[in-house]
Amino acid sequence: MLAIILLLLIYFFVFAQPTYAYLDPGTGSYITQLMIGFVAGGLYLLKVYWRKIAAVVKRLFRKPKKTDEKKRTNKRS
Amino acid sequence: MKKRELIREASSFRDPSGFVFYSGNTIYRQVNTSYKNDYLHFKNSGLCKKLVDEKLLIPFREVSNFKSADSEAFAVLKTETIPFISYPYEWCFEQLKDAALCTLRIQRVCLEHNMSLKDASAFNIQFLAGKPIMIDILSFERYKEGLPWVAYLQFCQQFLSPLLLMAKVDSRLGMVSGIFLDGVPLDLTSRLLPKSSYLNFSTLAHIHMHAHNQKKYGKSSSSVRLKSKALTKNMFLGIIDNLENLIRNTKYSNGQTEWGEYSNMMNYTQAAFENKKKIVKSYLVRQQPKSVWDLGANTGEFSRIAAGLGIFTISFDFDHAAVNTNYLQIKKDGETNILPLLMDVANPTADLGWAHEERKSLQKRGPSDLVMALALTHHLCISRNLTFRLIASYFQKIGKSLIIEFVPKSDSKVRTLLRNRKDIFPWYNQKTFESESSKYFRILKRDPIGNNSLRIVYLMERKK
Repeated sequence: MLAIILLLLIYFFVFAQPTYAYLDPGTGSYITQLMIGFVAGGLYLLKVYWRKIAAVVKRLFRKPKKTDEKKRTNKRS
Repeated sequence: MKKRELIREASSFRDPSGFVFYSGNTIYRQVNTSYKNDYLHFKNSGLCKKLVDEKLLIPFREVSNFKSADSEAFAVLKTETIPFISYPYEWCFEQLKDAALCTLRIQRVCLEHNMSLKDASAFNIQFLAGKPIMIDILSFERYKEGLPWVAYLQFCQQFLSPLLLMAKVDSRLGMVSGIFLDGVPLDLTSRLLPKSSYLNFSTLAHIHMHAHNQKKYGKSSSSVRLKSKALTKNMFLGIIDNLENLIRNTKYSNGQTEWGEYSNMMNYTQAAFENKKKIVKSYLVRQQPKSVWDLGANTGEFSRIAAGLGIFTISFDFDHAAVNTNYLQIKKDGETNILPLLMDVANPTADLGWAHEERKSLQKRGPSDLVMALALTHHLCISRNLTFRLIASYFQKIGKSLIIEFVPKSDSKVRTLLRNRKDIFPWYNQKTFESESSKYFRILKRDPIGNNSLRIVYLMERKK
């Protein structure tokens, strides 16, 4: 994360010359979304997949609980 | 339907999709033909139902055969009434934070239904039954992957900027929203935030870099070609997720202020306090108001007596910490008929916006059935140099009846206020208080709170 902040700070202070120009008042906002989107989108993907992996691992190593047993027996009856 | 006078809401001019109007006390929203396709998608995709079910959007129904004078009308909607319209500059930190999270939650649900918020104005959020809720039904548009979030800048200016300023600089900066009605400019926020905020990725990106980009791409006259489908849905969701995390982790920390712990600061006995509560309750039961405005309510101790009787009560106070504590209490206990708001009684919210008609003053949103002004008059007189007549004259404009407390000069609170200043208030006594108040109100009852305190509580009704 520190590296990302560092990269953004470098961008911020070093590249002062405009590479894009004005379209409408939202252009700066759009470009900001694209820049944040790369990082935040990546982190979001990681988060989603991490949750999925964690859920699978949890399911694999989970011991059957008493309540689960009860539910099963109820279903059978 | 009978023909009645239709009054168009003065602030409803920005969005070409429709507008709000009133017929008597009923609120309607016209959907224009130009918004038809988005509206139908909003209704048929299940988004509308989900938002209403989750209590994120105000419930509404379509009115058939409405005689609308406007040829643009595609549909007319009747919405549930909000008991009191409040504005973002009257909210405490936690209220603005919840309103921001509500907006982001709505945006998330929108994306699940292939729609997006085209408007993220804080004015579109109101507090209903203690919780933030979206009131603008026409803020949704069909989402096309690749396109940016058009309301992103607006969200950053109206929610993120004031929240960060309040949390990282000073809670009083929330009032800046009342100056910049379209949101606090990002370059201003960027300049005011401490330098350490550059080390937080989210603040660096959404505020500092965003402000920098706005300036950088806002000057040149040549055009930009941006690749279509540049911003994928995942990137979009990432931005929303990042904003949510940033706002959730932004905490109010302004320390303890003058009125933070009211109950510990009382200068009279618990017995007198309990008696005052009993007197106030008996007056409320007698008057049976539908709405109460508790001025100088602090953390809402007396507002809760009214609320407990089922009366919709607004707790006004100018101390941010007190309003924040009051709101957190409401959240904790699930209270539904108290609305805490920031307001300086000596400088109440004015008419703001275009032609002074967009955002209404406190007075225009009234009058309330009953105004409570407990332990307040001595502050207005001695700290603000207001006379009894000026106070009564204003209270008569904002309340049909009044519960007011007179605190005599012998009271330790008044002595403290006079300690470091010349006593230029020879008229400050019970007799003048009653005679001046009587010019605007009829005194119905007066009860000393007793138990070694010389304070007196009055019930008054305004003269017609």
